[in-house]
Amino acid sequence: MGKVKIKKKETRIDMTAMSDVTVLLLTFFMLTSTFLQKEPVTVITPPSVSEEKVPDANLVSILVSQEGKVFLEVLGSKDSTMKSETVRADLLKNMVAEYKKTHPSANLAFTNKEIETFAKLNAFGVPIRNMKEWLNLEPDQRDKWLEGKDNPGIPINMNEDPNNPNEFQMWIRAAYNSLNPELQEAMVKGRGIAIKADQATPYSVVNVVMDNLQTMKMNKFTLMTALKTEEE
Amino acid sequence: MAIKQKSRQKKFDTRIDFTPMVDMNMLLITFFMLCTTMIKSQTLQIALPTNEKVEKEQQNKVKQSEAVTIIIDGKLDDKGLSDPNEGMLYYYDGMPETDKLATTGESNMKQIEFGAKTGGAYPAIREILQERNKEVCLKIADLKKEWKEMKFSKDEEKNDSIYQEKAKAIRNDSTLKRPVVIIKATPNASYAHVVSVLDEMQINNISRYQIDRINEVDSAMMILLQGQNLKK
Repeated sequence: MGKVKIKKKETRIDMTAMSDVTVLLLTFFMLTSTFLQKEPVTVITPPSVSEEKVPDANLVSILVSQEGKVFLEVLGSKDSTMKSETVRADLLKNMVAEYKKTHPSANLAFTNKEIETFAKLNAFGVPIRNMKEWLNLEPDQRDKWLEGKDNPGIPINMNEDPNNPNEFQMWIRAAYNSLNPELQEAMVKGRGIAIKADQATPYSVVNVVMDNLQTMKMNKFTLMTALKTEEE
Repeated sequence: MAIKQKSRQKKFDTRIDFTPMVDMNMLLITFFMLCTTMIKSQTLQIALPTNEKVEKEQQNKVKQSEAVTIIIDGKLDDKGLSDPNEGMLYYYDGMPETDKLATTGESNMKQIEFGAKTGGAYPAIREILQERNKEVCLKIADLKKEWKEMKFSKDEEKNDSIYQEKAKAIRNDSTLKRPVVIIKATPNASYAHVVSVLDEMQINNISRYQIDRINEVDSAMMILLQGQNLKK
């Protein structure tokens, strides 16, 4: 008697192909990704039809929180000649020199280690008096302090006297005078300065920043926006 | 009969189970997907006038017939933030009619609501601007038609660049009647509104515009207009 043979089905699926696909995807994401930089305040930039991309090198971005606190982020060039770290280290040294012009008696000096710490930071925004103390904090404490309510950000006010600059103007001047000629050129052309502010920020707050830049004769700059598609 | 001793070799399964590998890869992909920024922010380039005091004679006065002044106003909430969905827009052509304002209390200023209720910030002023920049807009529209039909070149990139160049020439063509838009914002206006008005300049092909500070006459006219509207 012929037996009906039930075909045994293999329940295991071959995962090799699946693995191939995932590795491919993984490679893609690893190569194309630029990591989100940690920022002291989260802002939602207003929408605009402008399609110009934010430059990813030679840029001073001015981050304005909703309450009007100001933070700075400085990027050097893309190649290794003027890395962000080099530019930032130089920026801090310039800032000290700049600050001493108007405050000759100020006791302001940073050790090499402090400068090194500063160079590695993406964003900063504390009064220069507190800078030393802030740089010596532990990394997580440092972030907390930067985001904290007690931190006033970089001191800024309505100042139209270029000979008596406020701290914000000194920082911008210091960035302009830093070692990197590409950054200087970008700042003159207006591509090197970007204001990043939240869409709900009152204009009076943004105006203070713009006015400060105007005082320094940096009339050209960019505003960071998010892409909006315009239906036609 | 001797029984042939079979040396039984154990058969190894050469297939490796890839499931854990796939699991791990998926996890990594998820991580990279969440940590990356695929969309870069856009920028909007602006140029402000200098802050220096310019002699009255040296000021190149904008032709009265071409000037349009737009004033952006907003509302602050309890947190001191300006809602991007609510706002008012005031505009007038040419110079403010100060004499008429002093004698009759009427001005040439008009008011439009500018917010979510009227379908976003955009339709409110687009008509006004397009009306004033009719000649340029019509020419650009014609040009766009040609661009869509790929009339300049068969090559897409080349077609684009020729179109951009021609459009720029039209925007800056001084033989056409072009408006000069002066944008002013009250301290309460939200940053998003200012950006959206700047955006309108691009959309409506206006090449001459500037951001200025609000003055006493402007605020006087605004208060007057608000008072008149309340009476109605």
